[in-house]
Amino acid sequence: MRIIVCIKQVPGTNEVKIDTATNTIIRENVPAIINPFDTYAIEEAVRIKERAGAEVFGLSMGIPAASEMLKEAISLGIDKGVLMTDRKFAGADTLATSYALSRGIEKIGEYDLIICGKQATDGDTAQVGPSLARTLGIAYATDISKIIEIKSNKMCCLKITDDGYEEIEINLPALITVVKEINMPGLPSIKSMKKAKNSKIEILTFEDINADEDRLGLKGSPTQVRKTFVPVHEANNEMIEGTLEEKTEKLSDILLKLRTEVK
Amino acid sequence: MDNNTFIKMYGEYLRDESRLVGNAESIVFPKSEAEIISSVKEMSRKNIQITTQGARTGLAASAVPYKGHIINLSKMNKVTGARYDEKMDRFFITVQPGVLLSELRKYISNKSFNANDWDEQSVNALKYMEKNQWFYSTDPTETSASMGGIASCNASGAKSYRYGSARDHITGLRVVLADGDVLDIKRGQYIASRDSKFRLVTEGGREIIGQLPKYKMPDVKKNTSGYYNMPEMDMIDLFIGSDGTLGIISEIEVELNKAQKADWGATIFMPDEDKSVDLVRAIRHEITVDNINLKLNPSAIEFFSHNALCMLREQQKTNAAFSNIQEIKESYHTAVYIEVESDSDDVVWTEIEKLGDVINGLGGDEDDSWVAYNPANLEKLHYFRHACPECVNMQIDNIKKTDSRITKLGTDMSVPDNKLKAAMKMYNEGIGENHLTAVIFGHIGNNHLHVNIIPQNMYEYEKGKSLFLIWAEKIAAMGGAVSAEHGVGKLKVPFLKKMYNEEELNEMRKLKKLFDPAQIFNRGTIFEFEEDGK
Repeated sequence: MRIIVCIKQVPGTNEVKIDTATNTIIRENVPAIINPFDTYAIEEAVRIKERAGAEVFGLSMGIPAASEMLKEAISLGIDKGVLMTDRKFAGADTLATSYALSRGIEKIGEYDLIICGKQATDGDTAQVGPSLARTLGIAYATDISKIIEIKSNKMCCLKITDDGYEEIEINLPALITVVKEINMPGLPSIKSMKKAKNSKIEILTFEDINADEDRLGLKGSPTQVRKTFVPVHEANNEMIEGTLEEKTEKLSDILLKLRTEVK
Repeated sequence: MDNNTFIKMYGEYLRDESRLVGNAESIVFPKSEAEIISSVKEMSRKNIQITTQGARTGLAASAVPYKGHIINLSKMNKVTGARYDEKMDRFFITVQPGVLLSELRKYISNKSFNANDWDEQSVNALKYMEKNQWFYSTDPTETSASMGGIASCNASGAKSYRYGSARDHITGLRVVLADGDVLDIKRGQYIASRDSKFRLVTEGGREIIGQLPKYKMPDVKKNTSGYYNMPEMDMIDLFIGSDGTLGIISEIEVELNKAQKADWGATIFMPDEDKSVDLVRAIRHEITVDNINLKLNPSAIEFFSHNALCMLREQQKTNAAFSNIQEIKESYHTAVYIEVESDSDDVVWTEIEKLGDVINGLGGDEDDSWVAYNPANLEKLHYFRHACPECVNMQIDNIKKTDSRITKLGTDMSVPDNKLKAAMKMYNEGIGENHLTAVIFGHIGNNHLHVNIIPQNMYEYEKGKSLFLIWAEKIAAMGGAVSAEHGVGKLKVPFLKKMYNEEELNEMRKLKKLFDPAQIFNRGTIFEFEEDGK
C-alpha cells in the first residue's frame, strides 16, 4: 500500500499578524512549523503503516526551506519527502495549489490513499483536500475522525458531522482529510531524528511535473483577495465583587439572564 | 469583625496551597508601599501579629496565619520600572510583590508594559529591550505564584540547573520593617565583614548593626532552609528566602536573561533507575560513556520514577485530562527530562546525536525518547512534566473526600552530588518498608527530588509524616538541605530542627529579633516563637 500525506508549512503562531499595506501575512521572525492538522495526517499514515504495512510519502509545495519541514515529517515516521518548489508555483490560491499537487502526485506514481489535514491554520480554507481529489478524479471524504478498517479496494471510516458521526465506506484510491480527534501525534525519538537528518528530500520543479503553466501559481489563481483582517475577539470580563452571598446571588442572576437570552 | 463573619467573607485567605488552614481577625489589601507602612505601624502599636501573603501558592504554609492580621499583597501588582546597564548589557525590571510570574512572563515576551507612571530612565530603558529577546529564568511549576512569594521562599524550579534560584536574579529589594521604616537594599550595597558583622541604614536614617550567626549552610546547589548565612555575604541575601519573617517586601528588582536561539527538550525513558541516574551523571559530565564528549549545558534535568510513570499511564486510561500525552509504553521504566538552550541549530543536532549514543552506551535505547525542538512540541513535554504533580493532587483531593485531615505529603530536600544515589536508595527503602504509595519526580540535576506520598488513610498519613522526619534527619546527616525551594514555612519547622541544633536555631531567632523585636511578622514560620518558650 502506498500513502501520500500532503503537508504545508505555516507560521508557528496563533496570532497571525497582517501587513496592512500589502495585505499579506508577516512571516518574518515567526518560526515555520508543520500545519498542526497535517501532524494528525502524518500520524495516521504512520499508524496504518505500523498496522498493515505501507510506504508513506510526504508531499509539500513551498519554498526550498520547507525541505527541513519534510525532514521533520520523516522524523515523525514517514518514509520519503517530496518537495515541489519553483518560482512558477508561487502565489497559488487553493485551485492552483491543488492542480500543482495533483501533478506532483502523478509524478510519484501509483497510490492507494492520500491524507490531508482538515485545513491549514494560516488560510483556514479547507479547500485544498477536496479540490485535489476532484482534480485527480478520485473519491474523497472530509473531517474523518477514525479509520475503522482498510480492505484491498475500499476503506471504512468515521466522519464528524454537525449532528454527530457518520460511518462511511469509500473506494480506493481515495483522499481523506482528518480532524484532530483521529489520533494523538507523537514526538520524534532521537533515533528517528538521526534517520531524518541523513535522509534526502526529492525536489520537483516545474520541469519535472508535466504541468500546464497557465494553471500554476499566481497565473492559475482566479481568487482575488479584496480584504484581509484579523478577527476581533470581543471578550468582556466582569468581576463579581462582594461577600460570598452577594457574589453567589450576582452569579445566579447572570446565569438566569443568559438562559433567558439563549431561549 | 467576629470570627464567623471573617471566615465567611475571607475564609480563603486562611489557607494556601499547602492546604493548612489557619486563623485571623483582620485583613487588608494595600495598593502601595505607603498603605503597607500604615498597616504595619498600626499593628505594631497594637502589638498584633501580621502574616504576609502573595498569591498563596506556597507549599510550606508561610502565608497561612496563626492569628492576628493579614497583609495580602495581591493588589500590589504593577511593574514599576526598568533599567538597562549599557556597559554590562544587563536588563532589569522592577515589580511590586503582587505581580504574578505568569503576568511578568507575558509582559516580557510581548515587550509590552503599562509605563504610564514610570520615570524617564525606565521609559528610556525599554528601547534597549527591543534589541534582544529576554526572559526571567526563575520558573517554579506554579506560574500563578507572586514575585513577592518567589523572593520570600527563594523559589527556583526546573531551570535552576543552569540558572540557579530566585536569589541569583534579584538585584534589589525594598523591605518594610516592623516600625514602618523602609530598607532599600541593592545587591552589592551592603556586604558583611569577614567576621560576619554587618551594618544597614534604613530610609529613616536608623542604623541596624548586627552579627551574622555561626552556623554553616549545607554544601548543596539548592537550599532555602532557614536564613541564608555566610561570612562576607551580600546582605540582600538575608531577606531573600526569609519567608517574610524579617519584614514585608514591597518592591523587587530582578535581572532578566537573554533568550538563546534554539530551545529543545527530550524525555528519555531508561530501562531502570540506576541507568537513569547514570544518564544524569553523564549529562552532568561526571562520567564518560564510550569516550563520547557530551557538551550539553541543560537548563533543566528532571526525573520521573517508575511509579510516577505507572501512575500517569493508569490515569491516561481513565482521565480525559491526560489523554493528550502520547503513549507511555509498558517497557518504559523511569524517565529523565532535559531542556537545553543553544546558540545554533547545528549544535542542537550534534548534541542530540551524541546524546543518543550515550543512551545506547548505557544500555538504554535512543528510540525510547520524545524530542521537541519547537515551542509547540516543547509545550507537550512541559505538559507531561506538570502532569505528574497534577495527578498526585487529583488523587489527594479524592482521598480527602474520605478523610479531610489528609493532605499531600511532599518532600523538598536536596543533597550534595555524591549523595544522590544514597538519597534515592533511602527514599525507595523507606517507601517499600512502610508499604506506602509514593511517586518521585523533580530536579535530579540538582540532586533535589520531590517524593510525594499518597496516603490512602490516616494511618498511612501519620506513617508518612514520621518517615519524613526520619528522612530529614538522614538528609541533614548527608550534608543536605531539608528544604530546597519551597521554604521552611510552618510545615517544615520540625525538619529544620533536624538540620540545625537549638543553639543554631537560637542564632536565627536572635537575627529575627534584631529586625522585628516584638516578633510581629509571620510567627511560627521557620521556627517557633517566644511564647512557646523559645
